[in-house]
Amino acid sequence: MATTVEQAPYFLDRKEKNLLIVKDPPKFDLESYIANYEGRTRLKRLEHIAMYSSYLAVDALRMAITEAKQGADENLYLSLTELLQSISREDPLATPDVEWAERTFKANKLKQEQLEGELKAYKNNLIKESIRMGNEDLGHFYYQIGDLGNAFKSYFRMREHCTSAKHLTDMTMRLTFVAIAQRNWLGAQSHATKVDAQVAKNEERGKLEPVINACMGLTHMCGNNFRDAARVFLNVSPSFITSEPVAAINFHKEVLTGNDVAVYGGLCALASMDRTELQERVLSDTDFRQFLELEPHIRRAISAFCSSKYSACLQILEEYRADYLLDIYLGPVVTDIYHRIRTKSIVQYFKPFSCVSLDEMAKKFQVKDEGYPIEDELTSMITGGILNARIDLVEGLLISPAKNPRHVVHSDALKMAQNYDHTLRLRLTRLNMQNAGMEVRAPKVDMEKNMDRGEGFGGTLRRLGQGLGGFS
Amino acid sequence: MADALSVCFNFEPTSPNIKSNLELDRHIRNHVNAVSHIPSSAFLKNIDTPQDFLEILNPSVNSIPYAFALFHRTQTHDWPKGPKSVPDTFRPGGASWGKLVEFLDSFDPVQMRYIGDVWRRLVEYCDRVARVMGTPGMAISPVRSAMLQLDPSTGTFTSNHLQFMRTCLEAGSYTAALPILDSYIYNLPQNIAKALIEIEGSVPCAETSTSSDFITTRSGHSEKITLSDLHEYYMLGAIAYIGARKFKQALLFLEHILITPTANIANGIMWEAYKKWVILGCLVNGVPSAIPRTANSNAMKQIRTASKAYDALTEAFQAQGSKLRAQAEVGVQTWAEDGNTGLVSELVDHQMRLAVSKLKDTYSAIPLTHVAKFLGFSMQEAEAYVRTLVARGYLNASLDHTPGPNGTLVLRFYTDLTEGPLAKSEKEQHLELLQQTARTNKLAEQVKAADYRLTLNKDYLEHVRRLNKKAAANAASGDAMDVTWDEQEPEEDIMGDLIM
Repeated sequence: MATTVEQAPYFLDRKEKNLLIVKDPPKFDLESYIANYEGRTRLKRLEHIAMYSSYLAVDALRMAITEAKQGADENLYLSLTELLQSISREDPLATPDVEWAERTFKANKLKQEQLEGELKAYKNNLIKESIRMGNEDLGHFYYQIGDLGNAFKSYFRMREHCTSAKHLTDMTMRLTFVAIAQRNWLGAQSHATKVDAQVAKNEERGKLEPVINACMGLTHMCGNNFRDAARVFLNVSPSFITSEPVAAINFHKEVLTGNDVAVYGGLCALASMDRTELQERVLSDTDFRQFLELEPHIRRAISAFCSSKYSACLQILEEYRADYLLDIYLGPVVTDIYHRIRTKSIVQYFKPFSCVSLDEMAKKFQVKDEGYPIEDELTSMITGGILNARIDLVEGLLISPAKNPRHVVHSDALKMAQNYDHTLRLRLTRLNMQNAGMEVRAPKVDMEKNMDRGEGFGGTLRRLGQGLGGFS
Repeated sequence: MADALSVCFNFEPTSPNIKSNLELDRHIRNHVNAVSHIPSSAFLKNIDTPQDFLEILNPSVNSIPYAFALFHRTQTHDWPKGPKSVPDTFRPGGASWGKLVEFLDSFDPVQMRYIGDVWRRLVEYCDRVARVMGTPGMAISPVRSAMLQLDPSTGTFTSNHLQFMRTCLEAGSYTAALPILDSYIYNLPQNIAKALIEIEGSVPCAETSTSSDFITTRSGHSEKITLSDLHEYYMLGAIAYIGARKFKQALLFLEHILITPTANIANGIMWEAYKKWVILGCLVNGVPSAIPRTANSNAMKQIRTASKAYDALTEAFQAQGSKLRAQAEVGVQTWAEDGNTGLVSELVDHQMRLAVSKLKDTYSAIPLTHVAKFLGFSMQEAEAYVRTLVARGYLNASLDHTPGPNGTLVLRFYTDLTEGPLAKSEKEQHLELLQQTARTNKLAEQVKAADYRLTLNKDYLEHVRRLNKKAAANAASGDAMDVTWDEQEPEEDIMGDLIM
């Protein structure tokens, strides 16, 4: 069945455009995986899996469509059915239930008008609390039907009508939530920071902090700031795993679970920290250990890296590559993260040696079958300044260049002195020119005289230049 | 005649009567005065006989009269305009020419400091004759030794410098100009008040006198200097350095032109200088140089907009690949018009050289086959090319034969900087550092002197005077104000009696 899916027009099209297709089956079981999540993110995750995995596409889409039909977002339903059509035309679920879509659309429109009417009424009454709740309801509604832009706007309009700190934090958390759903990472980050500042002195902090940290970490990671992401993820308290709903949202189910925190945090740490940091802040950290227990393979990978078993570490990561590619947030950045971990391993591996044979390097770090020779990778690392080494193509060795600090110090001193000399001489000339009152001024009336002068001079230069052309 | 001779010999600089530099100065000036009053007829008597003044007088001891004698000889005919107007004896190879050259080689520099006018005319005459006779090269050596003899540092710019450069370039002998060019200009002739000189004691005959003291605007050693003269000198100097393949010095000379003080406007020669400078920057440093900080930014902007072709060249140079060659071909007309054809082709060659030497950053040993493929050459061509690079000092590497049946050539780079053909031992480095320190110290001295001269500038003195006046005014008005506020009566309670 997998092969026929791969022949489907959708995937053939992707292949032509050189887009990513994950052919290998992932390690997780689709149903238990998706059971961890609630709400809109279930549908989006299933959609993501269907788009990228030829193995699970059909199953995922079937689940997604059934569930979408129970919701209120008819646009999402229609796009899912369209996707299934381009993958497996004969599937019964592939034909959209147009009638249902129409019905839902009309019902949504009705509800929207109703809510807007109520809001108008509240506005006329000028009761702050009602206006606030009216906007909130409108926001919820828009979110349910998948109109994230309007949802964001509605929540934002609550701002001026919030009267208590709790209202503010709730509102900002909602905004963060919608921003994440919109994949607006900078926006989400700014709102999460706002909440963080708001609850700084609050008793609510214990409840909110893990959620805030988790969201911040997520935004950092999706913005390719792995170091910041790692730092924040490591700060997430283990209470996140079973946290209570915040602003009526179960963040640990509707955005990212404890397992996700473990995976994201672990990978970002591996990509950005060195061995001592990893040892201190990840492996020895009692809080984060609870997360790592949810995903033991991440812990194994990190310990392998710390004990210099680089090939083991990379191997573990490779095994889970398919899984991570199918994750909605990790998918786009996982290749980058893996690449960074790989380069770091190579650099760390080479550090203690003065000379390693290229065969040895290839054995330890050889990439799967798409092998592109280790030499090319090393060359690009050297020219990029990441690795300080030299390749001996004749003997097939990677050599650490000899260092001669005394020599370097002397030549640097000489260079600096020469530069200083150079500048000083220019200044001296300029000083003398100014003292003699020599200055280039705009030509006054007798332009002709000056022009002639210029030509004559230019003529001399031309003549001389031609003579110079012949020197070797 | 005997009268004239006795006047000439009546000069005793080492007499015990002379106790101070000022006295010596006066003594020399009197002597010059006396000799200049001798009629020219006296000097022109008895030419070519043992009684000839030029035979009796010693050029290194009686330089002043000897110079006057020569000068009057040259004045017997018109300023040379063509080969025919030069008498035989003054043609290169002739007797008088020989005497002139000998004099310029061996005169007493202290005495020459006082008769700048005569000295200059002799030098100019020598140069003119050689040119007019079609052999400008004959003038190079005498003029150069004249300048060096007068002032071994040749650091004060004179019209002779410029004339000398023109002659050298006409003769096409770039290396001959180097001794003058290498002793850089650190001073321009200035106008120093006589009273000041006497106060300072920096009379020309003093031992500690430098060329900045005795070559002034009035000493006659140079004709009036204008900015375009200075520009021309630097430009011709840069061209000479380019001809001698000393690109680093050429770069510096061009920068001297670029940093000219301007009223936010650029002139033609700065533009020419910029174009050459841009290419040289790539040749010397491998990347385009940064514009010197003291260059006027408006002028630079104007120049840049006018030299887009050259900026495009440097971009193509950095980008590697064959774009550079294509760009160079497209602009052949432009380069030829500016006289930069040679430089551009040098740039194209250099790009390849740089690419090969960049290999040393990635590889420590690379088979020649790879290098050949990288360059697009055949094996023999690659080998020859690499050998020339090593010989010319662009690569710190050597070519070895690998052991084994194949025995292909291998290019081995020396990563340790103390090995290989370009190695510098610590002793050599130490020596270089010492030399550099000496140069910097000398430069610092010159800067100090120039700075000191600047404080004597009229404009600066005006400025200081104005500042002082302002400071005095401030202090005065401050005192006045203080007085009024000091003895203040305590505030009266104005409202007090109203409340009642």
